[in-house]
Amino acid sequence: MIRTIVGLAIVLILMAILITVVDDYTVPSALSGVGESYTETGVEDTGSVNLVTAVVVAYRGLDTLGEVVVLFSASTAVVLILTLIPIGSGPTPPSSIVSFTAGILPSAIILFGIYIITHGHLSPGGGFPGGAVVASAFLLVMLGSNTVPGKSKFLSSIESLAGLTFGLLGFWGMFAAGQFLNNLVLPAGSPGRIISAGIIPLISLAIGAKVASELSGIFSSYRKAGGEK
Amino acid sequence: MNMSLFAAASIGTGVMMIVAAVAALIVKKLISAIIIVGFVSLSASLLFLLMDAPDVAITEASIGAAISTVIFLWGRGKIGGEQ
Repeated sequence: MIRTIVGLAIVLILMAILITVVDDYTVPSALSGVGESYTETGVEDTGSVNLVTAVVVAYRGLDTLGEVVVLFSASTAVVLILTLIPIGSGPTPPSSIVSFTAGILPSAIILFGIYIITHGHLSPGGGFPGGAVVASAFLLVMLGSNTVPGKSKFLSSIESLAGLTFGLLGFWGMFAAGQFLNNLVLPAGSPGRIISAGIIPLISLAIGAKVASELSGIFSSYRKAGGEK
Repeated sequence: MNMSLFAAASIGTGVMMIVAAVAALIVKKLISAIIIVGFVSLSASLLFLLMDAPDVAITEASIGAAISTVIFLWGRGKIGGEQ
């Protein structure tokens, strides 16, 4: 009861803060300076039709590298904690609905995830969302079986290789064009083609592989620690 | 999509999210709260889609609605059910 009251009180306080903040907010009629520059010269600068990916991977590539590092340390910590403190029982057998679905859907989901990753510079998506979609397919596979995943060197090799690729692509830009993660060490090509936009597709691929393998590693360590009841 | 329909859909989704979020605090069973939080995430992804941010919507739907819900469920299993 006390927990509920405290929770509701926190929600009400947050609501009050939010209302005071957004009270005098008006929708801006024009883009801000940097936004305008992105929308005007983004396609020429990067060759990427999807400007969100252009910002995430090319203009703010260093931030994305930092984000990947954050995800890496988070997943390492989760795996470490779950290995040190193995509590709970092993996985229970799934219901027939889940195991039937887990037999059919994952291949389609993985295909969709790969599409999101490889078309990041053309349509909404990119490395991070695509990697998460691929990982959710692996999650479904794990939910549909009652065996504990074995030790896998494959996942960690993929993860390390993807991280290394990201870093090396960054250094390539530094040596070839004098700028870390310079996008146009590869030709920009014609915008809208699948092979275009410099190194954006390669970086998307690396991020996608890294996110998918890291999240799958978290799931399998939960599974090994007997997470599901 | 015309403007008023867009506004109605956004406001409807937002109100639904607020109601669900309060419900997640109130419900007795932990498992119901987890499922309701997953529903809030799914509504958030719908809201992102309505606001022309499909990139964010994809991420929210897969991470917020699917993956974190399952992680919470597994965590609930680890702490031993309803505690």
